[in-house]
Amino acid sequence: MFYRRAGIRHTRYQDERQLWPLPFDRRLAILIFLLALAAPFIVDRLYLVSYLLPWIIWSTAALGLNFLMGGAGQIHLGYGAVMAIGAYCSVHMVRAGVPFEIAMIAGGLLSAAVGMIFGAAALRVKGLYLAMATLAMQYIVDFVIIQFPAISGGTQATIQVPRVSFLGVPIVGDRPTYYVALFVCVVVTLFMLNVRRSSFGRALAAVREKDYAAAVIGVNTFRYKLLAFWVSSFIGGVVGSVLAVCYYRAISPDQFHLDLSISLVAMVIVGGLGSVLGSFFGAALILFAPILLNQFVGFLSSEFGLAITSDLRSHLPLMLYGAMIVGFLLWEPLGLAKIYANMRNYFLVWPFRHARQ
Amino acid sequence: MNAVAPKDLTVEHWPVREDGLPATLVAALARNAAESGSRIAFREREHGIWREWSWRQALHEVISLAAGLEARGLKAGDALTVVGDNRASIYFAMLAANALGAFPSPVYPDVPVDEFGNYMRFGDPRIALAEDQEQVDKLLDLRDRTGRPETILFDDPRGMGAYGDKGIVSIAELRAEGAQILAERTGLAAELVNRATGENIAVLLYSSGTTGLPKGIPLKHRNVVGGIKNAEAGQYFQRHEELFAYLPTAWVGDFIFTLGAGVLLVATINIPERQETALHDLREVAPTFYLAAPRAWDNMLTRVQVGMADSTNLKRRLFDYFMPKAIELERKRLAGEPIGLGERLRDWLGEILVYGPIKDFLGLSRAERAFTGGEAMGEETFLFFRGLGIKLKQFYGQTETCALSAAQVEGSVKLHTVGKAMPGVEVKIADDGEILLRSASVIDGYADDAEASAKAIVDGWLRTGDAGHIEPDGHLVVLGRVSEVVRTAQGERFIPNFIENRIKFSSFVRNVAVIGAGREELTAIVCIDYEAVGHWAERRSITYGSYAELSQKPQVLDLVAGVIAHVNQAQPEGLRVRRFVNLHKDFDADDGEITRTRKLRRGVIEESYAKLIEALYSGEARVTFDAAITYEDGTRGVLSRELEIREVPS
Repeated sequence: MFYRRAGIRHTRYQDERQLWPLPFDRRLAILIFLLALAAPFIVDRLYLVSYLLPWIIWSTAALGLNFLMGGAGQIHLGYGAVMAIGAYCSVHMVRAGVPFEIAMIAGGLLSAAVGMIFGAAALRVKGLYLAMATLAMQYIVDFVIIQFPAISGGTQATIQVPRVSFLGVPIVGDRPTYYVALFVCVVVTLFMLNVRRSSFGRALAAVREKDYAAAVIGVNTFRYKLLAFWVSSFIGGVVGSVLAVCYYRAISPDQFHLDLSISLVAMVIVGGLGSVLGSFFGAALILFAPILLNQFVGFLSSEFGLAITSDLRSHLPLMLYGAMIVGFLLWEPLGLAKIYANMRNYFLVWPFRHARQ
Repeated sequence: MNAVAPKDLTVEHWPVREDGLPATLVAALARNAAESGSRIAFREREHGIWREWSWRQALHEVISLAAGLEARGLKAGDALTVVGDNRASIYFAMLAANALGAFPSPVYPDVPVDEFGNYMRFGDPRIALAEDQEQVDKLLDLRDRTGRPETILFDDPRGMGAYGDKGIVSIAELRAEGAQILAERTGLAAELVNRATGENIAVLLYSSGTTGLPKGIPLKHRNVVGGIKNAEAGQYFQRHEELFAYLPTAWVGDFIFTLGAGVLLVATINIPERQETALHDLREVAPTFYLAAPRAWDNMLTRVQVGMADSTNLKRRLFDYFMPKAIELERKRLAGEPIGLGERLRDWLGEILVYGPIKDFLGLSRAERAFTGGEAMGEETFLFFRGLGIKLKQFYGQTETCALSAAQVEGSVKLHTVGKAMPGVEVKIADDGEILLRSASVIDGYADDAEASAKAIVDGWLRTGDAGHIEPDGHLVVLGRVSEVVRTAQGERFIPNFIENRIKFSSFVRNVAVIGAGREELTAIVCIDYEAVGHWAERRSITYGSYAELSQKPQVLDLVAGVIAHVNQAQPEGLRVRRFVNLHKDFDADDGEITRTRKLRRGVIEESYAKLIEALYSGEARVTFDAAITYEDGTRGVLSRELEIREVPS
């Protein structure tokens, strides 16, 4: 109904590979980008700071993890630790007077270096064993951060983030912080969209499907597995520093524990492995569903006078939340992105059932 | 690949007629190259992407080919036999022949070798252009038999590597030779553009040969330019159209509506990758002008209907709701009745929900001018597409008039007429009811056939052979061929073709022959449409393994009986089809039962199926029919079939 495809023709093969060949998709992408740009001026401060900002940051993190899990097929249960390295590295550098731009990159590089060392395990082990290896990373990094006061500032300490500026703009107030996060998000999104069209992305896809087969057709699996961990961890480190500077503003080790890693894995799986759009959907569901369900249950108990005990009142949203995730995955195991793709396809072939008649 | 660099090949002067139009197609090409040289002239799909030629490049291609052809011995007045599907090179070569004062003589690609000689009778064709290896093989076979053509050009190099035969030249090689000659002889390009005149033949086409040998019909540049001038004056064509070149090159419609109008009116000619991808490529092109035979429109309708029958619930319900409303609204519009606000609103909504997406799917969302012609079109199909918002119109013309005689005009479209004569076309009805035409596009005479010419053209008036009349408001009504008017034993006059067309309006019937001349009553031999009936059967869980088996299923016989009964309702009592038989195969041009343009050859049918026809009138319920079949490799065999004869319920 919305999609129009008549008259779209290409005179070069490059044109056929553009990101959004259909005008409708292109316009939709532009519209969403413009809305994201205008958001600080049209939405309430509360929504900007407590919904949009975390959504953008967590989505970026999910994108970084999705690159590894969906793009290269390597599981990672220690992504929170990767972000922690980036966050602590950049915050310490900022405190030492290094500009935020450099600190952010440095945080990414350190994360990439450490992440690659643990990623090296992927050269030998796969699947559940790799999950264990990355889980070990989570605990080792947590342990190191907590046990070294030079890093964490002490067992229970939080480190304040000083005022910084990004590209000459001081990051104070809601709008600058939002735009910095949005900028990083857009850069990572563009990278993710384009990497699939590059030889790098295709090599990763080959490794994902079967590393032996990839090696047989001449893909250097050693190199690409390490590169995948390097790139993914770099993104994780950068997002960690953005999270620290733009959102938390004071960091402590408990912000980067296993639950962060698990929720990121959940975002990727619920959103859709390998899907850019899915990372945004997944982050939205995992972040906001508990809040909305909590409000919903609260609304039910107060407005309709439902006699529910306070125990149940606090547990019901969590139960519903779990049921929802299971429900979505039962409905479409390939994630929310696939649900969107199905809906898009429904309209794409409108008014027919299939594309070919 | 081998796109020739757009060298500066500006030609300042070209032959011009008194009315300021270019005198020949080559002159028009030179004009386009000079006036809008960077506009896209041709676009051809090659391995999935569209390759483009500007007018300047097109002129360069044509002139290079012309120089090459001249070096190979093509002289003024010679014919260049052309056989193959639509390709940019083939169009270039046609124009190149024109530049030399020679003319292309396109032949249908599916003509077998045995008949091919019929299409090389005029213009001493010693050079032939084939599209691919298949056609080259055919021409080689022909050369072994008749010594002609001496030179065979080919376009598609696939599979041609091993042909060492003398006289086989690729078009690319010819172009390179020509470019070489052009570089050596300055002024040759300008000379080539100016060599041909309006009196030269632009193309030699052949009549369909329903009765006997096909006649050669030479269209001169004067005819083509004049005809298109008339059509433009009537606003049937406009400048800068997007055209879709998929019609058979040997049909007048392709030469006039695609190449002629394309060059004269500075259009962009889009050529699909292959015949099989034409429907897909049509969507990529989204032409502004689209011409298709009624059969093709019927197929398109069937495609939409089959697709909708398969669709999801909501979509199908929307379609089932909006489409009848659109057809009803179109009926009102044609009748000139006022249209209420509610209906307009519903039409607007329907455009968004149903009509727009379907037009987009078909690739006709930009088709401002959509035409059909050649034979009668079913009311259902006509109203369906008009209801969708595609302003489909019928035109009337024959090869002898460049197919440009009359056409419907938006605002006064009436279903049963073919519209008014185009500006510059005179039409009158002879005493015996035959339609006579006179215009600039009417040919002077048939090729080397003074007798036939004298019979067909009297004082510039063309005897069309069509029976018809002119309504008081000037609309022309065409009933059928004068020669086809026959009488039953009771003396009732009828045109079998007329009844056949009505039966064929059903998407389930692909071909039908109505028999009844000199008989007590009418009967019919029906060939079902394998695809449509097959799908119909699948949805009803009727199993079948072949065309023959499907055609004899009782349910299918009932279906066809229903179709004929519906047509009978509109027929006078004495002209109702009483009995029919479903044939075990479709009529096939290779068996001579229909012409390449899908017209029935009654003589052949009555002869081949004499036993069947006798059974139709003897009142038997079944008949065993020994069918002679010709296999693809040319061998013949006999197949015995038992066919069921059905009475049509009244």
